[in-house]
Amino acid sequence: MITWPPLLALLIAIPMTSAVLTPAVARGNGNRAFWWALGVMSVASVIATMLIARVSQEGPFSYVVGGWVAPYGIELHFDEFSAAIAIICLLGLLAIVYSKDYVAHAIAEPRIPYYYTLLLLNLVAMMGFTVTGDLFNLFVFMEILSLSGYALVAVSGERIAEMAAFKYLVMGAVSSLMVLFGIGLLYALTGSLNMADIATRLEGAPSAPLAVAFAVLTLGFMVKAALFPLHIWLPDAHAIAPSPISAVLSGLVVKVGIIGMLRVYQIAYGSGAIDMSGLNLVLMWLGAISIVMGAFFAVFQDDIKMMLAYSTISNIGYIVMGLGLASTYGLIGASVHVFNHALIKATLFFGAGALIYRTGKRTLTDLAGVGRSMPFTVAAISIGAISIVGMPPTAGFLCKWYIALGAMQAGHPFFAFALVFGALFIFIYYIRMVNAFYFQQPKDPAILEVKEAPATMLVPTLILATLCLVMGVLGRVPLSFIEPAVNRLLATVGGG
Amino acid sequence: MIRRALVVALLIAVAVPLLLAMSQLPPHGSPDTPPNTHVSPYYLEHGAEEGGAENIVTAVILNYRGFDTEGEVTVIFTSMAAVLAVLMLAKPDRAPRVAPTPELPVSVVVRFIVRVLAPFIAMFAIYVILNGHVTPGGGFQGGTILGALVIALSLVLSREDADALLPRKPEHLLQAAAPIAFFLVGMAGLLYWGEYLYFPRDEAQRWIGVLMLTIIEIGIGVGGACVLIRIFRAMRTE
Repeated sequence: MITWPPLLALLIAIPMTSAVLTPAVARGNGNRAFWWALGVMSVASVIATMLIARVSQEGPFSYVVGGWVAPYGIELHFDEFSAAIAIICLLGLLAIVYSKDYVAHAIAEPRIPYYYTLLLLNLVAMMGFTVTGDLFNLFVFMEILSLSGYALVAVSGERIAEMAAFKYLVMGAVSSLMVLFGIGLLYALTGSLNMADIATRLEGAPSAPLAVAFAVLTLGFMVKAALFPLHIWLPDAHAIAPSPISAVLSGLVVKVGIIGMLRVYQIAYGSGAIDMSGLNLVLMWLGAISIVMGAFFAVFQDDIKMMLAYSTISNIGYIVMGLGLASTYGLIGASVHVFNHALIKATLFFGAGALIYRTGKRTLTDLAGVGRSMPFTVAAISIGAISIVGMPPTAGFLCKWYIALGAMQAGHPFFAFALVFGALFIFIYYIRMVNAFYFQQPKDPAILEVKEAPATMLVPTLILATLCLVMGVLGRVPLSFIEPAVNRLLATVGGG
Repeated sequence: MIRRALVVALLIAVAVPLLLAMSQLPPHGSPDTPPNTHVSPYYLEHGAEEGGAENIVTAVILNYRGFDTEGEVTVIFTSMAAVLAVLMLAKPDRAPRVAPTPELPVSVVVRFIVRVLAPFIAMFAIYVILNGHVTPGGGFQGGTILGALVIALSLVLSREDADALLPRKPEHLLQAAAPIAFFLVGMAGLLYWGEYLYFPRDEAQRWIGVLMLTIIEIGIGVGGACVLIRIFRAMRTE
């Protein structure tokens, strides 16, 4: 095990600097940019593995950049929730591999080096967001993440993509503003930007600014997470972006909102200065409504990527409901679903992207019968589909089970019912999808002639589909990994 | 009409809690509020000696909170990459120059003034960049002046002469100058003193700290200017 302290700063600094060098390395050549991005993400993955090994053995650790002490310098803090960098690295690597053939066909050649630059910046900003212990630093990474996200939605250059990116930009800018305002209020109340330091200094602060600070922070992160009624930017942006980007946006970027909320909860519970039960109730309800509405809208979509985008709203609902329940099982389920939903949704978007790449069609009606010509891709999509419904041997099951248990534990059996109800809806639309791919007569016989997806696209999809199954079998590992962090969080409010 | 009334009602509903919160905040500017008693007094007391810069603002943004600023310069780079990824349609150096846009003749007055002022603006930009650790200013401000200078010159010069101000060859490196300067200085700190982004604090090594800060300031200045120019050019070719 390597415990060299500066490693935590290098996790961010090395990939960030390498990302800005991408255009210089590529010099206009997309292929060179691809290999460089792959190398950078591999290095980041090695560092991430070392850090996760360390946190699993000795618990949370910190590093203050520049050799200062905590409230004066910027503290990076790595706890069990930060282990989300594992899925960022994994999905990042697979998305880069997947992009190799995909972007050559979807994006104009001179833009490709900038595509990889923005993808790398997006991934490293997410890692920075996840490991920082300083509120303003969090905001800086959120800005890199948002800016690169808007551009990646628009990068294909189609008019509709630019419109979707603009809608995303407006909503994203409002949410950034709210988060910044919340940070400003907390600074005015405590004189500090360090999260742990703020938690110790909030005692006795005036109640109205305190409540508003936590409210705007949560609201800002809720927009980023696309919780119902703040989800309106998501379906277009996620459906229209290039498929590897859809997987990253839907699997990872919305989770930034969740991780942000977790950080807000750590401050609030740690300080004991504010009662979060009102907010928790709101989150539970919005979560439940998101589950049902996301699934409801998804049922009526014919465009497969649109369908997947709506299903993200429903899954964010599960996670937020788990957060709002504030019970051990609920929080464990929610934290692990951050990881598992990323795997599942990336499988589905990669699969859908491969179908679109080969057939040029994106609606269920047009894609009927494609299961016969692209058996591996459709098999992977089917595994993703049964995982997202939450069938027992797959990754989706345990988290939802834990969130339902959490609802019982917190004394809200109604929400467990909402969860099961949502799962039924989800079941309907995935059955529609599998039915169309395998059993319907093709509308256009040409669809039976298309070739299976190229290896750079098929292999990442199959790896993810396999992981959906593996995580179902090994589901206990992440659950017990995250448990100490959840217990620590809840110990401060006496819940659990 | 109803819609407008709803908007007004919503705005009031949002404004009331925000104003209530603002009214209960510790009074702005008073010496015993948390922002003035917790972290900032430490910066004011020790910034000049430990921070390596007589300008405390520079000490805070480049030294104490240097990691934030490394992120901020990456934000600037990201915005440029975003503009280029969305606007860049064809390879600029290989695409055949299709019908150059008819250039409007620039007024003689503008051309004369820009040419006369150019060397002074350039000197002022360099002064602002290099003096950032003593007086208000620094890489961000100086870089903006430098970038604005090149943009002003490209308005009055012919396209070939204007393009020569920032040649294509090093522009890929220069546009990333700010994050690269941060990383190199940060790694130097890591290799010599064992901490990422460490600046030496004792009197004997003070000049090394000043040198490191200056390298970052120049990086930010050059990088910032380059980013502005690249965005300007991307929009010009559109």
